[in-house]
Order: sequence, then C-alpha cells, then structure tokens
Amino acid sequence: MLAYTLRRIAQAVPILLLVSLISFGIMQLVPGDPAAVLAGPNATPDELIKLRQTLGLDKSLLSQIMIFYGNLFQGDLGYSIILGEPVLKVVLERSPISISLALYSLALTVILGLSIGVIAAMKHNRWIDQAAMTFALIGVSVPNFWLGLVMIVLFSVHLGWLPTGGYVPFFEDPAGWFLAATMPALSLAMMQIGLLARLTRSTMLEVLGQDYIRTARAKGASEPRVIIKHAMSNVLIPVVTVLGMILSVLLSGSVIVETIFAVPGIGALLGNAILGRDYPMIQGGLIFVAAVLLILNIVVDVLYAWLDPRVRVQ
Amino acid sequence: MTHRNSKNRLRGLLVAGAMAVAAGPAHAELCGHVGGDLVLGMEAKLGTLDQHVNAANATRNVAMNIFETLMTRDENMAPILDLAESLDVSEDKLTYTFKLRPGVKFHNGKPLTSADVAASFDRYNRIGVDRSALGSVDRWETPDDATFTIFLKEPQASFLESISASTVPIVIVPSEQANAEATRLEPIGTGPFQLEEFVADSHVKLKRYEDYKANETLDAMSGFAGRKQACVDTVTFRTLAEPGARLAALETGEVHIVEDVPTLSKERLVGNEDIVQTQLKHAALWLNYPNLSEPPTDNLKIRQAIQAAMNLDEIMDAMSDGSYSLNPSFQFPGQTYYTEAGSQYYNQNDPEKAKALLKEAGYNGEAVKLLTTRDIPRLYTAAVVMSEQLKAAGINAELVVLDWPTALGMSVNETEGWNFFFTGWITVTAQGGAQSLRNLADPSNVHKPKDNKSDAEFMKQFQILSTSPDLEERKAAFAKAQERVFEQVMAIPFGVTPKNQATRANVKGYVPFFNTRVSNVWLAE
Repeated sequence: MLAYTLRRIAQAVPILLLVSLISFGIMQLVPGDPAAVLAGPNATPDELIKLRQTLGLDKSLLSQIMIFYGNLFQGDLGYSIILGEPVLKVVLERSPISISLALYSLALTVILGLSIGVIAAMKHNRWIDQAAMTFALIGVSVPNFWLGLVMIVLFSVHLGWLPTGGYVPFFEDPAGWFLAATMPALSLAMMQIGLLARLTRSTMLEVLGQDYIRTARAKGASEPRVIIKHAMSNVLIPVVTVLGMILSVLLSGSVIVETIFAVPGIGALLGNAILGRDYPMIQGGLIFVAAVLLILNIVVDVLYAWLDPRVRVQ
Repeated sequence: MTHRNSKNRLRGLLVAGAMAVAAGPAHAELCGHVGGDLVLGMEAKLGTLDQHVNAANATRNVAMNIFETLMTRDENMAPILDLAESLDVSEDKLTYTFKLRPGVKFHNGKPLTSADVAASFDRYNRIGVDRSALGSVDRWETPDDATFTIFLKEPQASFLESISASTVPIVIVPSEQANAEATRLEPIGTGPFQLEEFVADSHVKLKRYEDYKANETLDAMSGFAGRKQACVDTVTFRTLAEPGARLAALETGEVHIVEDVPTLSKERLVGNEDIVQTQLKHAALWLNYPNLSEPPTDNLKIRQAIQAAMNLDEIMDAMSDGSYSLNPSFQFPGQTYYTEAGSQYYNQNDPEKAKALLKEAGYNGEAVKLLTTRDIPRLYTAAVVMSEQLKAAGINAELVVLDWPTALGMSVNETEGWNFFFTGWITVTAQGGAQSLRNLADPSNVHKPKDNKSDAEFMKQFQILSTSPDLEERKAAFAKAQERVFEQVMAIPFGVTPKNQATRANVKGYVPFFNTRVSNVWLAE
C-alpha cells in the first residue's frame, strides 16, 4: 500500500512540471496584453511600451522562462501584475475559501446524491423513484448561474433567510459561514447531486440483483442491514471514483458561482486573472489548482485501492 | 516670475464652477448623522488601488476617496485646486507655483510637504499611464516644504486640464513610495477615508481618517474637491458583478447604494418606498473608430458610406434598452466645449447615399470587420445592429468577437485584422475639449492613420485647442476639429447613456458623479 502511494506521488511530479510548462506556453500564445488592460484604450503606444517594461513583459521568452522556473523551484510564483501582491500569498489566501465551498458542496452532493439514489433504487419504478429521477434530471440540466439567481430571489429577497452573497471565514463565524455558503454550495452542487443520484441508483439496482444480496435476504437479514452492510460497500466503489472527479469539478468549476455570489475564491481569482491577462497569477494559480487536483486524485486512488485490493496489484 | 493679477484671475476661475454648487450658509453641517457602515454594491471588479497605473473606473470609484490630488475637477469638470490652496502662474505662462494647504497629513500621520508632491510626480512621470499630461513639463522644484513649482518648456493652455484630469490622476502619495513598482503602491493618501481592508473580488473597506484636513475654501464638495467629511465610520465597497444579485442586495438592505441599475430593472424598483433611484444623465459616450490603415476603411469614401448607412437611434436603443440620448458631439451637452459642428454627418440613416458612395469608391465587397466583445454586452449589441445596417446598404460586414483584453490589445497594437473598434468613453469625454480629442491626435491615434500621423487639418485645430490662451478661440478650434473628425470619419459617436443608480431611502447626501463619492454621505437613523 505504501509503495503504491509513493509510486502515485512520484508520477505526479512530472505531470505538475508539464502543467506548468503548458500553462506558460499557452499564456505566451494567447493574444491580449495586460499593459493594455491596465492602461485602458486611450494610452499611447509609447506609454504601453513603457508600462510593459515596468511590468517585465518586454523580456525575451527564454529569459521569462528562466525567471519563471528559477522562482518556481524556490517556491516563488512571482508577483501578480494586477493585484501587485505575491501570487503564492494570494493563492494561499483564496484557496481555503474555494476548498471550504467545494467541501460543503461535496457534503451536499454525497448526502443528497447518495440518499436520493438509494431511495430511488429501493422504490424502483414507484412514484418516489420517478420523482427522484425528475429531480436529478433538473439538477443536471439547470445552469448553476440561473439556479443561483433564482435562489437569491427566493431565499434572500422574498424569505429573507440567507444573505445574497459574500463570504464569512468559517473559523471567524461558523454560523455566518454556513448562511453565506449555503446558496453558492447548493448551486455548485446541484448538477453533481443529479449525476450522483443517477449513478447511485443504477449501481444500487445492479448490486441489489446480485446473488449475495439474495443470499443475505434468504438468511433473514433485515432490509436496512442488507442495504447498509452488503449493498453499500459495493455501491461505494464506483461512487468513490466519481467523487474524486466531482470534487475536481467543484474546485475548478466555480468561476460563475463565485462571481454571482461575490465569493472571493480561486475561481473568481483565476477568472479575473485571465480577463486581465495577469500571466503570473494565471500560471501560479493553474499550478496550484493542478497540484491540489493531483493530490485529490492520489487520495482517491489510494482510497480506491484500500476499498478494492485488486487495484494495488494492477 | 509671478503675476498677481494672473493669479487672482486664475483663482477666481478655479473656484467659480464650484461656487455654484456650494449652496447654503458658510460651513454648514455636512453630516446629518455621524456613524454607521455604508455599503455600496459595485458593478466592476477591482484589481489594484494604484491610481498611477490604472485607468479602470472601478479603481477610481474607491481610490478617489482615499487619495487626493494637487488639482482635480469640480462638479462641472473644470480644473480646481485640491491639495493646493493657491496657484501662481507667471506672465509668460511657463511657471506654475502651487502653495500647499497647511495641516494636511497622510494616513500614516506624516505631514504633506512639497517633497511628497514632487515624489508623486516623479513616480507618475516614471510609470504613470497618462504621462503625456506632463509632456510639456521641463522640471519641477520644491523651494520650500509648502511650495511646488512646475516649469514648462513651452506654454500649454490645457496644462491645468491635463494635470487635473481624473482618468489616471496624479494622486499624491508619501515620498517614501516614489520608487514603488507598478501596482505595488501602498494606498496611503490624504483623503477623508483610509484603507482598512482590501480583498480583491470581494470588498474594500475604508474607514474614516480622523486627522483629515478638509479643504475649507468651499462650503461643500464639488467634483472631487471642496469641503469633504467622512460622515460614516466605515464604507464597504462590495463587488457584486451580477446585476440581479446586486439589486437583490439593495432590496434586502444588505447594501445601501448600487451602481448601474439595468434599464429593465428600474421599473421593478418603482414603488418601493425603501429605495430611491438617482441618475447621472450624461455618463458615457459610446462610439467606434475605424482603422485607417486597413482596407477598405483606409478609403475615405467607404468610411463616409458606412457613416451614411448608420441609424444611431437603432443602435443606441438596442444597446441601452431605450435609455439613451443621441449626441452629435464628443462632449456632453452643457459642457464648455459642447458643439454640434459636423452634425450633418451624424445619424444619417441613408442607405441610398451609402450605396452611391460605395459605387464612387469602387467598393468590391471587401469585408468590413467589426471588432467587438461580449464581455461588455452593449458593445456587442452595437456591433450586431451596425453589421445588419451595413449589410442592408450592401456592405460585407463581419463581426470579430473577442474577449475584451484581446480586442483591446488588438485595437491598440495591431493595424490589421479589424476595421472598426467599439468602445465607450466615460471620463475621457467628461474631462473636456483637448482631453476628449487627444485619442485622435498624435501620438495616440486610436484610429491608426498612415505612418501614425493624424489628419493635418485636425492636428492644426487640436494644437490651437491645446495651446491657445483664449477660451473662445479654443472652443472654435474644438468645433472645427470635431467637424473634421466627422468629415474624415475618424470616429463615430453613437450617443450617451446615463448612469442609473439607486440608494436605500435612509442614505442622505449621495449625488451621482462620474465616480462614486462617499464623503458627505450619511445614514439617517
């Protein structure tokens, strides 16, 4: 198990380097100019040239690569052109916000997705099953920005239960965090809840048809025991695999939700960095996000190997 | 050498505009109530508070409450003293001597001296985005702590307009920051509010600066100048980019003021007694300009044909949901330089004339590429409507839709791949004659003329506009320059949109301006 874990970590290092190289390359290829964005459309060509010099954008590609990797290997991701702050500092400030939101979304996804899927499978072809699958279909189909706005109108304007947006750090005010994060987390999670509910239902239906379930029932095991002890452990194997992907999506797909709810997370940070052509921030942010996703994948793979020993051998 | 009469006359001019708004008894109470947290919902996201290197409206909205300038603009956008209490201009118009207001302190407690002003001008001259404002300056000196003297190489009538411009203002910062890199300026100013917390993409929180020294020369605020007071304890500028979420926050009372209320949402707020709607009638001029280096818009006849084909009512109606006014000028109505010279070329809506001009030009169906962006929906809508109008006149219009940084970068850096670039001018138009036409003059030339040399007749008038000491002569030059722009189709103004804002009913003293002002604004109990 340890060897497997170490092997997965070793595989991640070249991937991370590749990501950094690709992100650097893409940034050089993408048109647009951070100096033009900062200066606005009325700056003279001469002023733009000077601003590029000030920002270090006039250096050759090779020297920019040397500087970038020289800094990277010292743990320095450079300075944000727009924010004027060290990229690493900003990323470290923002990432807990997105991670907390993603974990909240994941919790909602797991609790609601699994429950809906299991209930639908248990009530197969009954009205509860149909209602659950309709809900799942809506979850998959409705765009999260639209859902977010509808929730704001309902829960903030009409009912006054939740704030329209903003972010409260969890460790400063857990209740405030819960109120502020609920709508963004739910709108972020909705599609994943739908997907997971459908996956859980189909897997559960497949598992419930297996011989060992019939055997368990024949031996007199109660229905909750059959579901929880015998069926769920097998349902969880494909679900755990998907959870890694779900968390990746929740972490990296939050640009629109963070914008609607004014949550200053990594998604909003990278979205604005891309719009402003803030090269160091985009590169640093991408490397950081890639590192987090790689770690997540390793955790999921290790968890998967722990659940299913055959994976370790392969 | 100074000239007392000149000084007095200038001082009179500088305060005249402001006196109009300074109603009421001298030094009347500015705040009906002191205290509270005023929360604003901002439309745009804010990157940096470094005013020297940023032209973004969002930066100004916040930073102009933290920083102050030697000179700024009054309510009517005329130059007015701010951190300076007096200005002497020498008879030969080459020496400008500013005396600083006594008792002014930075937010770090350090008293303001001329060394800080010089250091701020040094930094601006080194990395400032709008350095052309200092183009005619030979040097500056600080004979004593309270005196800052600027020496020009040659007289420039628009010099005070230039250094008081607020598009990228020369804000005064402590001298220790003279060498601060671009965007790494610490936001320490002399304004009524100081920075407490800045979380990009979330909010900026300002708090009252207790040692603020108000400018007592006026009884009230005028533009960014005049008598200012922080009535509230703190101000939180929240980034609420999504209009629906922004209005919802106003309706729930989470924010007190929102900017940019969409036209279609205004009706929803009517009848809500908790909300007051306000408007700055002339806020933004929308326009496009051709690329004179790229066929077929390098051909004057074709540009004129395009201008003749356009129905600007349709374009403005579509892009503003009906909330607009047509504007055959590069100035807003009521401004000193406003003129309708050349308006015979404006909003012609004459496809037949366009077809005749195309025939005359020998047009062969070459593509006319309209460079626009979806990031600013109004610009995209304008381009879509214009392309249909051009097609109806037999012009092969194509949309080139890119994200804003790419489109902007392309229009600034490239002379190929585009024929018209769509944009909006806010402070550019607001700040007066020479400032608004500077984009079409050497060396800016946003319209990319051949060899980067703008039209000779236009430049002749622009020089008079920039240098003539006589206002009437400058106004005549502006009119001629504007007419030349229309004749040569160097830019096509579409019209003006207002700035719709709304406040909670308990917000008092808030007056919409080109940028948000939170001084003298108070929350009724």
